[in-house]
Amino acid sequence: MRYYALLAFVFVVAACGEQIGPPVVASNIVVTAPASGMPMAAAYLDITNRSGASIRITGVTSPDYESVEMHETTIEDGVARMRAIPVLEITDGETATFERGGKHLMLMRPVDTPDVVTLNFYSEDQLLLSVNAEFTAVTD
Amino acid sequence: MRPRNLLVAFLLGTAIAAGLTLALRMGSEVAVPVRATVLPAGNALPPFALLDHDGTAVDNTIFEGQWDLVFFGFTHCPDICPATMQILMQVKMKLAEQNQDPMPRVVLVSVDPERDTPEIMSKYVSAFGDGNLGITGDLSEVSKVAAALGIYFAKAQAENGNYSVDHSTVVLVINPDGRFQALFSAPHRVEDFVHDLPLIMATQ
Repeated sequence: MRYYALLAFVFVVAACGEQIGPPVVASNIVVTAPASGMPMAAAYLDITNRSGASIRITGVTSPDYESVEMHETTIEDGVARMRAIPVLEITDGETATFERGGKHLMLMRPVDTPDVVTLNFYSEDQLLLSVNAEFTAVTD
Repeated sequence: MRPRNLLVAFLLGTAIAAGLTLALRMGSEVAVPVRATVLPAGNALPPFALLDHDGTAVDNTIFEGQWDLVFFGFTHCPDICPATMQILMQVKMKLAEQNQDPMPRVVLVSVDPERDTPEIMSKYVSAFGDGNLGITGDLSEVSKVAAALGIYFAKAQAENGNYSVDHSTVVLVINPDGRFQALFSAPHRVEDFVHDLPLIMATQ
């Protein structure tokens, strides 16, 4: 599996424009392009919390997709199950890894055909992290 | 040398040669599948009536005449299904590099026929290379085939109205007689298939 960073920019902001200390960093971002005509794409990345406090990711949005959900695939007794992750907590100094066969972002119903996908990570209404990434072919 | 001595020498030489050959064969390792579970006799599939990705009615005979790698998944699965299809595509590429003959076909059987129309299946399987086959159709027919092959799947409803489908992750090997010959359990690795498949396919 080939993971490589396509990070265009990452920034950390807080409500009211206040910066929340050390950054929350995204790396190893891969957004797999859906097969032709399919409404689903998946995104994988590492999110490292260096903010000095725990963060709680409660939602992800994209201007390029109608809906983005955090999901986790588990394989138990040979059966794959995919379930939504309502809240993802990342303690200070920890890295949450979204990878194939594990946590991932499910991007549903594209609103256009962008070359670059923007993903915004929120804690409630507070924007924690915004990333842009190019598509990678699903077969790469 | 007398004829009798010649005969004894010939028989002795032959015996020594045969013994050396046998010893060499016993000493060398015989390649066997390392990852796949092989069913020596193969299991028959139950009769079924489904559709291929062109919308053509198909039955058991669709699996006859070639080796098939069969995965039960669905096209709205963003993670494990494309990952598995990608692995199987890479397997075929590696086998082609080795001039493997015969080459297996990749078959995706939808566990979500409600959304996976033949048209969608066609687009999906073709994204993972040429010659792949998509099968969908009536849910009860899919269930019948899946049950006979030990494949589990069940719809998992989400709170927002969407749904996913829990499903087995094994890749089945169907032989040219249309019989279930072997299976690969997850996690799937390209090298396991590339090692085991030629050995399995050499049995016929």
